[in-house]
Amino acid sequence: MAQIPVQTIHRDPQLFYWILIPITVVMILTGILRHYATVLMATTPKKQELPAIREQRSLLRGINLRTNANAISPVSFQARKDYLVNAYEKGDFLKEPDKKGQAAPNPMTDPAAMEGMMGMMKGNMAMMIPQTLIMGWINAFFSGFVMIKLPFPLTIKFKSMLQAGVATRDMDPQWMSSISWYVLCIFGLQSVFNYLLGSDNAASQMAQQMGQMGPGAGAQMFGPGVDPDKQFQAEAENLSVLAQEYTLVGVEERLLETVRV
Amino acid sequence: MSSSLSHPPAHLPPAVALQLSQQAPVTLRSTPSVISSYSFTTLWSAAETPELWTEYENLMLSCLRTGDEQSAGVCLERLTERFGAENERLMALRGLFQEAIAKDDATLKQVLEEYETILTKDPSNMPVSKRRIALLKTLGKTTEAITALNEFVDSSPTDAEAWAELADLYVTQGMYPQAIFALEEVLLITPYAWNIHARLGEVLFMAGSSGDTSTDKYLAEALRRFCRSIELCDDYLRGYYGLKLTTNKLLTSLPQASRQSKSDSGLPIPDIKTVERLNETATAKLSEIVRRSVSGESGWEGYENAEVIAAKALLDSGAAKSIR
Repeated sequence: MAQIPVQTIHRDPQLFYWILIPITVVMILTGILRHYATVLMATTPKKQELPAIREQRSLLRGINLRTNANAISPVSFQARKDYLVNAYEKGDFLKEPDKKGQAAPNPMTDPAAMEGMMGMMKGNMAMMIPQTLIMGWINAFFSGFVMIKLPFPLTIKFKSMLQAGVATRDMDPQWMSSISWYVLCIFGLQSVFNYLLGSDNAASQMAQQMGQMGPGAGAQMFGPGVDPDKQFQAEAENLSVLAQEYTLVGVEERLLETVRV
Repeated sequence: MSSSLSHPPAHLPPAVALQLSQQAPVTLRSTPSVISSYSFTTLWSAAETPELWTEYENLMLSCLRTGDEQSAGVCLERLTERFGAENERLMALRGLFQEAIAKDDATLKQVLEEYETILTKDPSNMPVSKRRIALLKTLGKTTEAITALNEFVDSSPTDAEAWAELADLYVTQGMYPQAIFALEEVLLITPYAWNIHARLGEVLFMAGSSGDTSTDKYLAEALRRFCRSIELCDDYLRGYYGLKLTTNKLLTSLPQASRQSKSDSGLPIPDIKTVERLNETATAKLSEIVRRSVSGESGWEGYENAEVIAAKALLDSGAAKSIR
């Protein structure tokens, strides 16, 4: 059995000082810069007008009544139910009562929705632009260098990941090219940023990607493109079919059974 | 800063509040006054935490409570430096500070006018509209405060604090049905708050003792509310106290009560045997709580002194009656 010879490549030690360290330092500095740029660009969330607050909280009140109906007596529940169902169906709580029955505005033309999208755009831009620039910079100056050898063996599948920009068929996958080092930096500097900027920093790309995937549930409930009138109608329906069970029925017997003196 | 600063100071006993405010100058010196979010030094210094600003706010409230207006002013200044004068919460805090340092009613009226100008500019400023209502209450304009609160809960009906305040105001005016409605609204938001159940029981009891119509219905409801509050919180002194009062009252009124009132809506009045047993349980429990709390047994210290004394007085009066 022939032993596979260990590949040795003689590298200029200057490569280490002039490529590996600069890339790392530049990556850290861009991360910090991106964090502060995002902080500066962030717009304060737009304040809601009183009618909008009223609309949302009135709907929440109905939901509260539905979930906690058992806490109040049937008489009180009936009175509230009648009032709320009637008001919901007539659209008394709507932000713009005269617009009842019209379709929800297109989120693309709604200025309130546009603002949210602009915020997202800004966040994306702050991430995309530096990445493109640095990628270009590295490509222009450092492409084609093999920089370090990883201290553990790897299978051939890692070649495309670790040796981007170095098209050599027979080279051991342990060798890493400069562009791969850059890619590794993007994902590996997370903890460095956490240490430098605090855990909720804007430099971490992971958090941004997570944020794009699932915006909070609260935003969806009252978000743009949702017709509040439809929500009110649905809630009125829910309320009117609700069967209430009063918790206070038989509470004195329950108490007498449980309390031991 | 100490841990008691991270909780709202309204629940602190006076001694603790006094201690906090006496240490305020030291505390203020030891905490960083300005944290700028853009300087490079933040890379090495401790990160700014939201707790710090909560602590400033609570420290300010404690100081105002104990009359240390100077330290309170420093807290307010630092908060303003950090969040800007246009912050809603800070506007309310500044108003609170001005109310606290006001010497007479005329100054208070000025503050009130300031609130009103803020609110005409921005009617959705919840903290300031709450302060305005509180100030109206301070100035003795209860009916105006009630009107303002009614507008407030119309636009923000999920605010338990506002509903509870409204209930209290209604009770001071003797408008018990309205107060009961408001407390039920609180219960819809926080259905397991035993103190609210007990409070509702108290208001129902007051309604039952004052009105001449459907007294028994109110009392029965009050009885059940107290039972529920005890069910939610074991050994709840207030609940047992109310239960004892209500059952005492029901025992005197039940024998001569006619059975006609039970047919209409609501739950029937519990029969006299149950009421008697509840009364016995409440008496036994109250005396146990008083005995253990007075002797300072471990696990029984949390009761407020005044409440224990009141319970003892109730027990003594009951005992005197039974001897006679």
